[in-house]
Amino acid sequence: MGKRSYKLREKLSNTFELPKDIVLDVSKIIIIGTGQITVENHKGIIEYSEELIRINTGSGITALHGKNLAIKTIFQEEITITGEITNIEF
Amino acid sequence: MFIIRIWNYLRGYAIIIVKGLKIERFINLAVVNNIYIWDIEKLDYTTVKAKIGLENFRRLRDIVRKTDSSVSILNKRGFPFILRNIRRRKLFYSSLFLLFVFIYIMSSFVWMIEIVGTKNVDNENILRCLYNEGLKEGSWKGRLDRRHIENQVLIKMPELSWIGIQIKGTKAVVEVVEKSEGPPLISRTDACDIIAAKDGVITKLLVLSGDPLVKDGDSVRKGQKLVTGTILRENLEPRQIHSIAQVSARTWYEDAEEIPLQQIGYRPSGKVARQYKLKLLDKEFSGKRSVDFKDFNEYVEERHLISFGDYVFPIKLIEYRFEELVPELKTITVDEAKERCAERLNARIKLRIPEDAVILKKDIDYYTDKKSVKAKISVEVLEDIGVKQKIY
Repeated sequence: MGKRSYKLREKLSNTFELPKDIVLDVSKIIIIGTGQITVENHKGIIEYSEELIRINTGSGITALHGKNLAIKTIFQEEITITGEITNIEF
Repeated sequence: MFIIRIWNYLRGYAIIIVKGLKIERFINLAVVNNIYIWDIEKLDYTTVKAKIGLENFRRLRDIVRKTDSSVSILNKRGFPFILRNIRRRKLFYSSLFLLFVFIYIMSSFVWMIEIVGTKNVDNENILRCLYNEGLKEGSWKGRLDRRHIENQVLIKMPELSWIGIQIKGTKAVVEVVEKSEGPPLISRTDACDIIAAKDGVITKLLVLSGDPLVKDGDSVRKGQKLVTGTILRENLEPRQIHSIAQVSARTWYEDAEEIPLQQIGYRPSGKVARQYKLKLLDKEFSGKRSVDFKDFNEYVEERHLISFGDYVFPIKLIEYRFEELVPELKTITVDEAKERCAERLNARIKLRIPEDAVILKKDIDYYTDKKSVKAKISVEVLEDIGVKQKIY
């Protein structure tokens, strides 16, 4: 995926108002309060500990800091994490 | 998510512990290979607890080899394991099931009849009447036609004015209202006389309608006509009216009592014997029932062994308690005897005097001899002795 094709697809999605997470293959993060996070379109977890979970996504690495982090469910394209989340880093 | 959880439960799952340095890779590989694991918790740096479906457990082997980790099963949960457990303990669970069925069947019968609201009517009579109409201990609740039974009992027992049958659990609560008994009321349109209900001396006769036959100060006998409703006047046809009068009269009540000074009292010796009887439906199972006490008080107590609130089951434990009594010769003083006499006389005479009567005088005379104390009570009261009597 070159930079040009990415820009093209971004324009495409802007013009036609298509959902970016599908067209651009980037992650979609749903945060519910401070206790649950769902990351869609992930590419696997890189690091997992109780205080930090790092998830590989199409647009880089997303790091979740917190306490007592646990992976509630994990599927091919979706991961749900519960625990006391304090920081989200991109 | 809830549905998924139920699905996992039905399929059965295992709680596993994964140990290794490449936990993240383990998880990623599982996901890529379509092995669903959930509730992943880190226990410490190298260990993770997770849940996995039963059918996927074998497929972990490859991943374990690739990631140099080890997997052990901590616990197995879910329906298949419960099923296996049940299958292993078939007898236990089938008897448990049978027990529930049995309790259910038993709870669809009436096992206890409670009668509420009786005052003068004997409970036994009502029970017998109910029995004849089909409500008894052990009758099936589904077959009971309560309206019909209520009506039949009311017809057969004229002393009841209302009956209501309620089924509560295995209890049948029968509420009754008795007919209140009073003197038969005479309608105002019927002619009547007024007669004396008791012997007495009239203190005040207040005639509202009718002709008086007696005057103040007369002494009258029970049943004597005091006011007549038949009016006789010169030059007029005799006519009959409904007479009304207030008849205040002084009446006397007397009673006597004798109390011997030497009395045989019975005192519990402290020895108690108990006997038990088990009653299942109508069958009784009992041990020997002999007591070698000469004098004793007997107490009977019935208890339902199994009852859950209103659900009572027909197993009764009947306890007979016998308390031995020792005869004791006691001599009481004259004053004590007098006191006891007075107590008894007062209690007895109170029952005979109507409530609205005014007590004018009360005398108790004592006659003492060597063996006993005799007492005589006489009470003078003011009361209304007029009673209406219909003229036929």
